[in-house]
Amino acid sequence: MDFDLLSGFHDGHQDGTSHQLLSNLQSRGRLTHEQSAEVPSLAHDVLDGSLRPLDSNQVGAVINKIEDIFEAIADCILDEGKELVIPFKTRPKKKTTTNDRDGSSKINRSLNSEAQKVVFPSKSPQEAWKFTALLRILELSHEALVTGTVTTKRDIYYRDPELFMRQAVVDRYIDDIAYTFGVGRDALNVVAAAKGLVAGSFSIKRKEDSIIDYSIESEGILIPGVKEIESIWMFDVRWILVIEKEAKGYPDIQTRQFLRLLSRHRPEIPILTLVDFDPDGIGIMSTYKYCSMGLAHEINLAVPSIRWLGVRSCDFLNTKHEIQGLLSLTARDRKIAMKMLGKSIAEEERDEEWRRELQIMLMMNVKAEIQILGNGEALGDWLDKKLLEATWSAGE
Amino acid sequence: MSKQYLTTHTIDDAHVTDIFSLAVTPTQILSASGASSIKVHSTTSPDIPLAQTLSGAHKLGCHHIVTSRNGRKAASAGFGGEVKIWSISESGEWVEEGKIEDGNKAGEIWAVALSEDGQFLASTTYDGRINVWDVVAGRKKIREYETKGSFGMCIDMSRDGRFTASGHENGGVYVFNNDTGRMLYSLPGKSSLAFDFYTTYSQTLGLVKPVRTVAFSPAGTRLAAAGDARVIALYDVQHGEQVANLTGHSAWIFSVDWSDTGEYLLSGSFDGKGKVWSIDRRACVATHSETDKTLWCVKWLPKTGKSEAFATAGANRSISFYREATGG
Repeated sequence: MDFDLLSGFHDGHQDGTSHQLLSNLQSRGRLTHEQSAEVPSLAHDVLDGSLRPLDSNQVGAVINKIEDIFEAIADCILDEGKELVIPFKTRPKKKTTTNDRDGSSKINRSLNSEAQKVVFPSKSPQEAWKFTALLRILELSHEALVTGTVTTKRDIYYRDPELFMRQAVVDRYIDDIAYTFGVGRDALNVVAAAKGLVAGSFSIKRKEDSIIDYSIESEGILIPGVKEIESIWMFDVRWILVIEKEAKGYPDIQTRQFLRLLSRHRPEIPILTLVDFDPDGIGIMSTYKYCSMGLAHEINLAVPSIRWLGVRSCDFLNTKHEIQGLLSLTARDRKIAMKMLGKSIAEEERDEEWRRELQIMLMMNVKAEIQILGNGEALGDWLDKKLLEATWSAGE
Repeated sequence: MSKQYLTTHTIDDAHVTDIFSLAVTPTQILSASGASSIKVHSTTSPDIPLAQTLSGAHKLGCHHIVTSRNGRKAASAGFGGEVKIWSISESGEWVEEGKIEDGNKAGEIWAVALSEDGQFLASTTYDGRINVWDVVAGRKKIREYETKGSFGMCIDMSRDGRFTASGHENGGVYVFNNDTGRMLYSLPGKSSLAFDFYTTYSQTLGLVKPVRTVAFSPAGTRLAAAGDARVIALYDVQHGEQVANLTGHSAWIFSVDWSDTGEYLLSGSFDGKGKVWSIDRRACVATHSETDKTLWCVKWLPKTGKSEAFATAGANRSISFYREATGG
C-alpha cells in the first residue's frame, strides 16, 4: 500500500509541482546549477491541498516505521541482554549521486541493495557511533514529522555537530534511511538546502572582502551564511519584515541565524512577521521567536522581539462581503493546532494571542493564506497600513 | 412591532479568554472558554454571583458545554479532544462523573448535545460521524450514524430524545431518528424528501455554506439551522421541508436558541449582533449591538417569571443578561 501511495506521490512531483516551482524560481533569475538540482525537494513545501491527504497518509506510514524501530529497541532494552538493532540498507553505489542531488530519490527497487543491521552494543566503535547517529537522525525526522515541520539536512547536522562530525555523514544516512523505508527523503520531512531570500536597503561585507548590495536586487538574494559576514550596513531601515513565502515554509537555520544577527546588530528596528493564518503559520512564527516549537536547541537562534503582523482572523473575517479564499483545516492541521495548544499551555508562556487564534481556527475550522489579504496593490496597501502602525507603536 | 429587551446585568471578564459556549439549568448558567476552567453562576439572584469554578476542567480550553433540560447533567468538550460528563450533587455542586472516550483517538468528538433527562449524549466528529452515547449505562456508544464525511460543526437533540440533528461544514443538515437508528433526512441526500430539502436550501442560500448551529424547537416540530450563509433556515421536522427563511444578519451566525414557548428564536453572529426573531411573524423583533466582538453563544434562560430573559457571550469575555421589558 505504501508503494502505491509513493508512486502517486512521485508522479505528482514530476508532472506538476516541481516544474511549476522551477519556473517560478527561474523567473527570479538567480538559479545556479547547484540550486536547480535541489528543486524537487523544495517541491514538498508547495504541495497544494489536493495532494495533502496523500501526503498525510504517507506521513503516518513513515511515523509508524520509525516508531516500530523505537519500539523494537525499547523491547530489547526491557528484555535485558538482547542486542539493539536498526535495520538498514545502503543505496546501490551507482544510484548514490543521483539520489544525493535529487531529494525525491527515485528508488529503483530492482537494483540489488545490501540489507544490513546496525547493532548495539558492538565490538566496533565505528558501528556504535553509526548506531547512535542513525538513531539520532530517526529521532529528529520523527520530531519533524509529528510536529509537522520541515527540517533541512543542515539543521540536522547542527542539532548535534559533535556526533555527526561532518555534514556529509548526515546527508548520506538520511538518504539511506529513506531508501530503507522505501520512500523519498522528503517523506522524512527533510529537505536539502537553505532557501531563504532577502532583499532590502542594506549591504554586507563578506570576510573575503567582497561587498554585496542587497538594495539593487528587488527579487531577493539567498540569505548569506552568518559565518561569511564581516559587517552589515543598513541604510535608513525602519522595519524588518519576515514573510512565509510558500506554504509550510519553515525557516532553516541559516535564515534564523541571519535574522538573529540583524536583531542583535540593530535591536531598535522592529522585526515583524507575515505568515499564513494556519497552524503552520503560527508554528513558523514560533520557530523564529522561540527556536523550534518547544524543543531545546543546541544553538540559540531565538529572536524574542519578533512581532506578529498578520494574518489574524480579524484581518479577513471582519467583512460584510463574501470572503474569497477561505480553506478548511485538514485533519493534519487540526492535529498540529491541538499539539501546539497543548505545548503553549504546558510551558505557561507564549502569547495568549496565538493561543486564541489557534482556538479560533479550530472553532471555525478555517485557514487562509497571506493572499487572502489581496494580491498586488491590495496587499501592498494592507502592508503599508500595518507597517506604519507597527513602526509607530515601536517608536513610542 | 418590535420587542424591547433591557440589559439587566453583565459579568465583565467572566473568563480570561473568549467564551465559546453557554449552558443553562433552571437556576444556573455554565460557561466555557479558551481557558481551562468552567464557571458556574447562579441566575436566581439579580447580581448573578459566581457559584462554582470547575478548575482545570479542560487543560487546552473548552469549546462546547451543554446541560440536560432537567439540570442534573452537563457535558463539556475540550480542545484536547476529551469529553467530560458532570452531574450535580445533593449539595448542588457539579462533580465530574466520567469521560466519554471514542476509541483512543483524541479529538474525535467535536460538538455535543444532551437529552432532556441527561441519559443520552449525541456527538459529532471531524470526519462527519454522529454518535449517540448512553451516559448512564456505562457511557457506551449506542448509535453510530455515517454522513458524507464533512466536519460535524453542530448538533442538537430534540427534547423527547427521538431526533438528533447535525449541521456540517459542507452545508449538509441531517436528521436522525434515534428510535429506529436511521437517518430521516439528509442534505444533500438521496430520497425525494431529502431532495426537496436540498433544493430549497441551496436555492435560498445560493451556495452551500457551513452550518454552524442547529436547534430543535421545544415541541420538536421545527428545526432551525444557520451558519456562514447568514440566513436562518426553519424546517418542518416531520416532512423535511423548509418553511421559512429568517434574513437580517450580515455576518456568520454561530448560535441559535429557541425560547421556552417556541415563540421566539435568538441568534448571535460574528459581528457581535444578537437578534430575537418572532416565529409567527417570521421577522426580527429586536437587535442588540452592545459589542462588535463575535458572539459565540446565545441562550435563553428557562422561564421563571412573566418575562423572558436571555444571555449572550463571546469574544469580549463577558456574559450579558437581557430581560424583556414589561408594561411598555
